[in-house]
Amino acid sequence: MRFVGHIGALIRRLTGHHEPDIPPEEAERLTSLFTERYHSFRTLLAANGRALENMAQMEQAYGGIQPYGMDFVVSNATAVVVRVFRMIRHLDALAPGAYSELFARFDAIRSGLEAVIDPPRNPSEGPLVLSLSSIRRGDSDVVGSKMANLGEIAGALDLQVPAGFVITAAAYNRLLDHNELRPEIHRLIVSTEIQRPDSLFALSSRLQQLIASATVPPDVEEAVRSALAELASRVGGTAGFAVRSSAFGEDTAETSFAGLYESELNVHPDNVLETYLEIAASKYTPQAMVYRYQRGLRSEDTEMAVGCMAMIPAVAGGVAYTSDPQDADDRRIHVSAAVGLPKTVVDGRFETDLFVVDRQRLDIVQRQVVPKTFAFDLRPGEGIARRKLSPEIATRAALTDEQAVTIAEVALRLEAHFGHSQDVEWALTGGGELVILQARPMHHAASSPTRPSIAGEPLVTGGVCVSPGVAGGPVRWVRSDREALMMPDGAVLVVEHPDPRWAALLDRAAAVVSEHGGIAGHLATVAREFGVPALFGAGSLEALQRGAQVTVDADGLAVHPGRHSDAESGHERRSLMDGSPIQTILGDALSHISPLNLTDPESSDFHPSKVRSLHDITRFCHEKAVTEMFSFGTKNSFPRYAAKQLHHNVPMQWWMLDLDDGFTEEITGKYVKLDQVSCQPMRALWDGMVAIPWDGPPAMSGSGFASVLFEATRNPALSTPFKKPYAQRNYFMVSANFMNLQSRFGFHFSTVETLASQRDDENYLIFSLKGGAADEERRAGRARLIADLLEIHGFHLKVIEDTVTARIWAMPQEEILSRLKIVGYLLMHTRQLDMVMGDPASVTRYRAKLEGDISSILAAENPQ
Amino acid sequence: MTIRVLLVDDETSFVETLGKRLTIRNLDVVTAGSADEAFDVLAREAVDVVLLDVKMPGTDGLTAIKTIKRRHPLVEVILLSGHANLEASVGGMALGAFDYLLKPVRLEELVYKIEDAYQRKSIQEGKIRNLREVGISDPDGPKS
Repeated sequence: MRFVGHIGALIRRLTGHHEPDIPPEEAERLTSLFTERYHSFRTLLAANGRALENMAQMEQAYGGIQPYGMDFVVSNATAVVVRVFRMIRHLDALAPGAYSELFARFDAIRSGLEAVIDPPRNPSEGPLVLSLSSIRRGDSDVVGSKMANLGEIAGALDLQVPAGFVITAAAYNRLLDHNELRPEIHRLIVSTEIQRPDSLFALSSRLQQLIASATVPPDVEEAVRSALAELASRVGGTAGFAVRSSAFGEDTAETSFAGLYESELNVHPDNVLETYLEIAASKYTPQAMVYRYQRGLRSEDTEMAVGCMAMIPAVAGGVAYTSDPQDADDRRIHVSAAVGLPKTVVDGRFETDLFVVDRQRLDIVQRQVVPKTFAFDLRPGEGIARRKLSPEIATRAALTDEQAVTIAEVALRLEAHFGHSQDVEWALTGGGELVILQARPMHHAASSPTRPSIAGEPLVTGGVCVSPGVAGGPVRWVRSDREALMMPDGAVLVVEHPDPRWAALLDRAAAVVSEHGGIAGHLATVAREFGVPALFGAGSLEALQRGAQVTVDADGLAVHPGRHSDAESGHERRSLMDGSPIQTILGDALSHISPLNLTDPESSDFHPSKVRSLHDITRFCHEKAVTEMFSFGTKNSFPRYAAKQLHHNVPMQWWMLDLDDGFTEEITGKYVKLDQVSCQPMRALWDGMVAIPWDGPPAMSGSGFASVLFEATRNPALSTPFKKPYAQRNYFMVSANFMNLQSRFGFHFSTVETLASQRDDENYLIFSLKGGAADEERRAGRARLIADLLEIHGFHLKVIEDTVTARIWAMPQEEILSRLKIVGYLLMHTRQLDMVMGDPASVTRYRAKLEGDISSILAAENPQ
Repeated sequence: MTIRVLLVDDETSFVETLGKRLTIRNLDVVTAGSADEAFDVLAREAVDVVLLDVKMPGTDGLTAIKTIKRRHPLVEVILLSGHANLEASVGGMALGAFDYLLKPVRLEELVYKIEDAYQRKSIQEGKIRNLREVGISDPDGPKS
């Protein structure tokens, strides 16, 4: 703390002199200059406080489980940069040219940060359309994973896939550029609170409309038309097409996006371009936006390629999983099948047949044939028709055992080729050909630990556990988008059918229960990914009354009345941001922002050339600004702006510098009395300091004292003070609402800085304390003890070795003042506590005393 | 003393709404739909603080701030931006902006910023007055 010593020397020099005779014009000039400097100083401090808030928010987000989007990262990073720049500029105003090197360091750090957070360039060069037969797995950055996988299946495995082509990501980018949509999309997204369901739905509808009503660029239109003509000539003139999303990030091992984008079946060739726009627009369905947000995916990274394939007139279709979706250890192949198109299975709306096949012996080990009501078929001309099944077909299995085994075999080949459990969508033609429509890595539910069982009669039993876990909340039926908007956070979502659009609610739902559906639907896949307990196909849910508290035990296939929090598994919900692209970007951005390398102002490294992060710059500017303010009165030999010694009854020396309106009157002499101080924060801190008399140094154990002696011999920083153990040098800078205190109590160095004005938003309080005479471990112990005590009162804490830094901000003035009393109290009463930190019994005793004292100080403030 | 604020934004509805809200907070508000319109207003009447949208058709905010600071060095300019952009933010500050705020900005915060900017302007004016009184010519002051 050479800084404190330096100021002390200045003040001693100053106060030793008589007030020089200053001509009034000169006094006026100095006063005006001082006012200007004070303005710069205040602006610098405000920027410092705000920059630290942004940093704290970014760090909290990085380590937390709450999702955040790129706009959070970019706007916080920009805010930090702007505020740090303001600090440098105002420090330059306080000390013109003295630290100009900071500007260059700032520019270097800023360009590093820019490189991290700048949006990716979305190329619009390259082919606009690619034939499926020319695509391989490695082309996923051109055609999306879904179509890349399909191309690979046909090309490398010689399995049958539909004939088709892909409208590439380059075409999508051409579409956005041609219609100049990017800036508007960006503007709409950043100005919307996606967490609010009503804004999310409104935003989704605006964005989808923008894209769906865009003009397809002429070159893209030409490329699609010629690919369609070529395809029609290959598969026969009148065939319809399946137009499917193939977005970046869709169908990958990390993220499924199951059913979150649109796909249209049996589209007439004349309508393919229009449908293309609709599918491209489905990048912004509410469910896709919520999913990206929850999974930390950048919107700009999700380019939309779209596949266009000849429709397969299926007699049976479905999904095969190469292991049990709820239990990764169950390696049997699960084949779900329906009559007609596989849509029945993937929509998850109806119960379907299930064949479980042993992967070694390739025989059927389990067969569930359910009564079926409907099938989906191709409607002549365009679209899909729902056909009511005759009783004979309805009760018959959708597949023969042989067909189920063939499908299982093919699924295993896909697993072997792609090296990951697979989720395979298949169709069987009337001629008995098996066609693969889609294959993607499976997403398993997290394994479910044993929990206490729930006693009592359940309201609902049966169904299929599609995502394990136990969770409770109030029942909320959702049948429409309007009801979806109204769903409160933490509700148990109850639906008739597991429609994929309800995926937009999964981040807010405690659990999901559906009357229909099974494990193979899209909503089931996303529920597993999000770790939301889900029970599907549970039959009539009339017993679940809106608003009633229930607990869903998905593993136990039951819904119980009331809450059973002992059995609930809510805390096991996965942090979906971990390892996500946006989290990675935030981490990289933070590496330019938050590491603090400049910690010791007396070190020769405390220099602009050593600044490596924005945090370093804030630290440097703050330190130098305080020094500059203090030295003003001295440099100009102007006592009005020089420090006064405080007259008081506390046995320590205190110096005060009035920045503006911190004193009730102008003081030209050497001393100021406490009642002449109008600085509210200083008075509050002082109240806390004197509220309870200090008992003196704690009684040290033999080892505590030995630790102090040992430390004094090895720690050179302690050598001088040790000769004069309770040296005190304490410096206040005050205005009516602002206070900065640099103080030293014995071996303990502390800073308290606060702004407590009527502007709640700008208020803050920072308290940091470091040092001590005992060994490192005990000093660190004291830092943790203080942190614990302050955390209860809403402070954000950081403890690094023996330094504790506590911050609160954006609070009403009275709340800041009340916390200042706590800080004042702790300043006085934690002195030398480090010496007793080795003894657990006395730590407990002191903690109890400190907690009790703080409570009584606060109680005295608000007498009941 | 009422602070006179010039609001410059091509989004008419934004200008209108914000103008009304600032008027309720006892600020004297004038508006302009483009940078060129703003230059005219500034040439005609005294303004303390300009709220300037970064992105406008025609002369954009960053070009406009150069002109404003050249012609009226004491007028404080606060930049408002629809989306965060590191380059524009620091660029604008380097050109002399008092601050750079992201839309949507909380009214409370904006009013504080305007008050702070006004205070800075007053301090600068005081300084110039002082320099004149003690007979020192002002190298940075207006050349009028």
